[in-house]
Amino acid sequence: CSRLHNKPTFSQTIVLQNLYVNPQNSAKSADGSHLANVSDEEMQEHFDNFFEDVFVECETKFGEIEEMNVCDNLGDHLVGNVYVKFRREEDADKAVQELNNRWFGGQPVHAELSPVTDFREACCR
Amino acid sequence: VTKLTRKKPSKYWDIPPPGFEHITPLQYKAMQAAGQIPTNPIA
Repeated sequence: CSRLHNKPTFSQTIVLQNLYVNPQNSAKSADGSHLANVSDEEMQEHFDNFFEDVFVECETKFGEIEEMNVCDNLGDHLVGNVYVKFRREEDADKAVQELNNRWFGGQPVHAELSPVTDFREACCR
Repeated sequence: VTKLTRKKPSKYWDIPPPGFEHITPLQYKAMQAAGQIPTNPIA
């Protein structure tokens, strides 16, 4: 992957970079907190809470969501990326503007428009 | 149509990094871009 993705001017889809932190993936904490075993059930619950939190916030603030996907790929430019496809381009545009000035879990949100419209066809080459 | 509502306050939204409560996320990212503070410690 060249990482030189084209950034569309208009899109229904936005990407929120590195938003999801998988408790099982982030095994690098200096204080040893990563050694605590995270069970699959806890993982699922953690993910469900995260997903709902993001989905509800985006749908209530910006508009109807058609699809939302969370990337579990470990590549550093993909890990934890959240893709939200809105029904209307205007909503996606507004979401990018506003989300870029929001905090999320102790980090600033990095939001931009994404060219992805069909997640089954999406492939980072 | 059911209205989506929050069951409880978010654990994630609007939680700033400790010590940076006084600046905006945009200012924070500008400081990261300028190398004044480290970028995402997780990645």
